[in-house]
Amino acid sequence: MATAAASSFLSPAAKFALQSRCPSAKTAPRSVRFPPVRAQQEVKEEEPAATVPPLQEEQATAAAAAAKGPAQSLPRQPLAESKNMGREYGSQWLSCTTRHVRIYAAYIDPETNAFDQTQTDKLTLMLDPTEEFVWTDETCQMVYNEFQDLVDHYEGAPLSEYTLRLIGSDLEHYIRKLLYDGEIKYNMRSRVLNFSMGKPRVKFNSSQMPDVK
Amino acid sequence: MKTMQQGWLSNWLVKHEVVHRSLIFDHRGIETLQIKAGDWDSIAIILYVYGYNYIRSQCAYDVAPGGSLASVYHLTRIQYGIDNPEEVCIKVFSQKDNPRIPSVFWIWRSADFQERESYDMVGISYDNHPRLKRILMPGSWIGWPLRKDYITPNFYEIQDAH
Repeated sequence: MATAAASSFLSPAAKFALQSRCPSAKTAPRSVRFPPVRAQQEVKEEEPAATVPPLQEEQATAAAAAAKGPAQSLPRQPLAESKNMGREYGSQWLSCTTRHVRIYAAYIDPETNAFDQTQTDKLTLMLDPTEEFVWTDETCQMVYNEFQDLVDHYEGAPLSEYTLRLIGSDLEHYIRKLLYDGEIKYNMRSRVLNFSMGKPRVKFNSSQMPDVK
Repeated sequence: MKTMQQGWLSNWLVKHEVVHRSLIFDHRGIETLQIKAGDWDSIAIILYVYGYNYIRSQCAYDVAPGGSLASVYHLTRIQYGIDNPEEVCIKVFSQKDNPRIPSVFWIWRSADFQERESYDMVGISYDNHPRLKRILMPGSWIGWPLRKDYITPNFYEIQDAH
């Protein structure tokens, strides 16, 4: 099969280039950079909740990603012919997308949200673009560390969507564990409030199954 | 060779050439033959020339956890004015560690996607198939989902109902 020749591996170098898109301590609060629309959103929704301004980074990410759409944001890059970007693979990037975890095998510029698929030795993680949970710096850092651990664990595996899916799925399990341990909680002001990881309970870990007598 | 009721096709095969095949007859009144993978090429062309111009379906399944893989072909004849077309069912078995069966794509075009699905689900690779790649699972999937020893990875999206 042709896939064997073109596969690349998760290299050790990947761990140095991980980016995580979440309100972490790295991103300074930026109030100048965003267009007024998003700033308004920030004022209305984020002010009462007293979250850090970099949270709108995620909104920007979500808005940009939703507005542009993955298919339109792909510029024609002649350099991107290799590494599974060929036409027979649909000219797509390698990604794994679930509700809270988006992993891309590309370098996404934090400011311009531009994809750069030629650099597939980097993995980008977008954490909870729809803001179903309330994230703080510490919880973001925990997820980021878990992401780092997972990538180290999968080091040497072929760089394919299957591997990214395994990583993303393990991250989702980790996020659910954080929720059940009480580290994060649902964001009651999210746009789609459907408690995708289980309805809120008094103690998530108290009893998994109801008593059947 | 068992002396139970044999279909006319097996008699015909015996009469014309002694071809290596054995007969597993009558599952629904349809003749079922088992043919070796090595002979399947020539037998398929013989059947096509005889008149079976329509492959109704092609499927594959895993026979037993430590056993072999089967590739099943249902052939029939489509012709104007025929009410009860004659049908025949062919099973080709292959071992599990390197399953290869000649493809009938060049004889019956509609086996294209069906052989791709058999490849995707069970892992039988069909020789001379022009574009044999996964059709149901994502392209980079690892494993053959419909084998009896396949274990689904613990993906988050597969959850128990609350």
